[in-house]
Amino acid sequence: MAELIFYFFAALTAGGALGVVLNRNTVAAALCLLLSLMGLAGLFVLLDAYLLAALLLLVYAGAVAALFLFVVMLLDMQGGAKRTPGWLNLGASAIGFAVLLAGVAATLARAHLPEPVVTAAPSFGFSLKYYAAQLFTTYLLPVQIIGFLLLIAMLGVIVISKKPREEQTPPASP
Amino acid sequence: MNPSLLQQAAEAAANNSWVLITPEIMLGAIALLLLALELVLPKKHHELIPSISIAAQLGLFVALLVNRPIGLETEPFNGLLRLTGLGHCLRLYFLAASLLVSLLGAVALARRKLPRIEFFALVAVVTAALMLLAQANHFVLLFVALETATIGFYILVSYFRSSPLSLEAGLKYLVMGALSSAILLFGIVLLYGVAGNPQLAGHAADPLHFGALRHFLSANPDNLLASVGIVLVLSGVAFKIGAVPFQIWVPDVYQGAPTPVTAFLAVSSKAAGFAVLLVLTQEVFSPYQGLVLPLLGVMAGATILLGNIAALTQHNVKRLMGLSGVAHAGYLLLGIIAAFDDSARQLAVGAVLFYLVAYLLASMTVFAVMTHLAGEEDAEQELGHYTELAQQRPFLAWMLAIGLGSLAGIPPLAGFIGKLAIFVAAFKAGLYPLLAIAIVGVVLSIYYYFGWIRAAFFAPWRAAPQAGEAPVARMFAPAGLPLAFVLCLLAAGTLLLGLYQGALGQWLLAW
Repeated sequence: MAELIFYFFAALTAGGALGVVLNRNTVAAALCLLLSLMGLAGLFVLLDAYLLAALLLLVYAGAVAALFLFVVMLLDMQGGAKRTPGWLNLGASAIGFAVLLAGVAATLARAHLPEPVVTAAPSFGFSLKYYAAQLFTTYLLPVQIIGFLLLIAMLGVIVISKKPREEQTPPASP
Repeated sequence: MNPSLLQQAAEAAANNSWVLITPEIMLGAIALLLLALELVLPKKHHELIPSISIAAQLGLFVALLVNRPIGLETEPFNGLLRLTGLGHCLRLYFLAASLLVSLLGAVALARRKLPRIEFFALVAVVTAALMLLAQANHFVLLFVALETATIGFYILVSYFRSSPLSLEAGLKYLVMGALSSAILLFGIVLLYGVAGNPQLAGHAADPLHFGALRHFLSANPDNLLASVGIVLVLSGVAFKIGAVPFQIWVPDVYQGAPTPVTAFLAVSSKAAGFAVLLVLTQEVFSPYQGLVLPLLGVMAGATILLGNIAALTQHNVKRLMGLSGVAHAGYLLLGIIAAFDDSARQLAVGAVLFYLVAYLLASMTVFAVMTHLAGEEDAEQELGHYTELAQQRPFLAWMLAIGLGSLAGIPPLAGFIGKLAIFVAAFKAGLYPLLAIAIVGVVLSIYYYFGWIRAAFFAPWRAAPQAGEAPVARMFAPAGLPLAFVLCLLAAGTLLLGLYQGALGQWLLAW
């Protein structure tokens, strides 16, 4: 039963991801992303990582994918003209694909992946308290760095999108 | 919360010794100070802020130089960082680069109606992130520091947002950078998964810690997933240093980015990539030498050849600097490969550091001249624009010649010694085919570097202008006093290091 559920969510994740890449309609692609994320959250639940699943749904499905949809609909983008790739592109892609396929086949041929044995998940896998304790003690430095990351991201938005202001012109008096 | 967890938390918190990363914290504080000053100072004093940034960084640089580093060879922050002499050396390096970039930024931004203060805050934060990156001892910190630096670079690259080329470069860098981060992250995750597997010998409780990972890798010298992870991590780093086949973003981004940012990318970003590569290949991945060595070897050979050949046909000087920077990454990779050989290790690591210092001095000289001479559209700086530079401004022309000569590796200059040291190390390590490729590359590079010098020194013949006709050549403004002073310093450093490496050479080779 658990295996069946796993395959269902795995198919949802992979199928959704394929849909994002192959869809020419951007709104449909964004919705496929949502589907893929939900499949991923299901996989996390199967691994007993409830917190990650909830965060994934809240942050990525709830906020990021919704933002994508919002922007896509705001821009009202159409699929655009279909381009047929030239011979050079096709040839290069074919060679790249062949090399990649050969690499994957070669690694699989000499693969000796051990059969996984199910072990008990660590007890802290879903405890919010444990995550918080780790974040604010062991990983405090990365958390602080991310604070600076968000600061410069904010600065970047201001720098790149602020309307240029004429500096020397006095305000027009009524 | 149960007592044992509380105890653990208290111990972990006590290990966060913030005093050991004072330089990074100070840089962060400088960034915040600049933003606060923009808020507080009246508008007419805003032009002071770039000078304040430069002065503060200069003070920090001097303080770092005179104070002995503390806590060397320790692993504070629960093993997230590892403080080494090499790391301290790189701190000074990044700070010097950040100082120069801030100066160039002040020169370039003074002519444009763009937000000014944010540039300096961004440079300070990115520099702090690069410093932490060079000292990372844990993949979590490595990734976080790398992303902070990279996101700062996305913004800096598209800073001249009124220019479509700058925006295009920013977008390209964003897409390529995100791709490379994804590759790197995938590699890290594979390593985490395989090294945390309790069925394998030497599995670790914290597999992202470099020491624990190395222990695991030496216990499992032929693990398939670990090999894939290593290749992916090295590919992600190769993106940052612009090594072939991950160099595709370099010419466009270097051309579109504002010239000070191009200098920042060329010098600091590349040096950080090599610092990470040095730690990863020499320490963490050393049990997988049989995999890493051929990979880096092919990469180095292709990088040297492709960088130099592609640079031969460039007319835009920023693209030329970008592609020749790819070639320089190839020479540095050669040094890293030589460091695998036990007899050549010390020389090779020292040579890589010396090469980075020589590269900093020389390319900052060239970028400073470029920044000063850039016209209205920063991305369009052609070789032809340098016509008659030597006749009008001999000082600038000679500075340019010294910088380019050092990059090409002409004898009395520092670049020559850097190349020589790397080649000697490679010879000692027995890398004869790569050495041959590198020498061919150097010969090729002389062609395009001297093409630029020729454009600046020897004017093409043209008929004498008739009376009343406007002169054809453009007029060059003289360099301001601070810029001229810094140019003199850089050129003197290049000359001095070329003739006498004594103290610095010993200092670098001692690590």
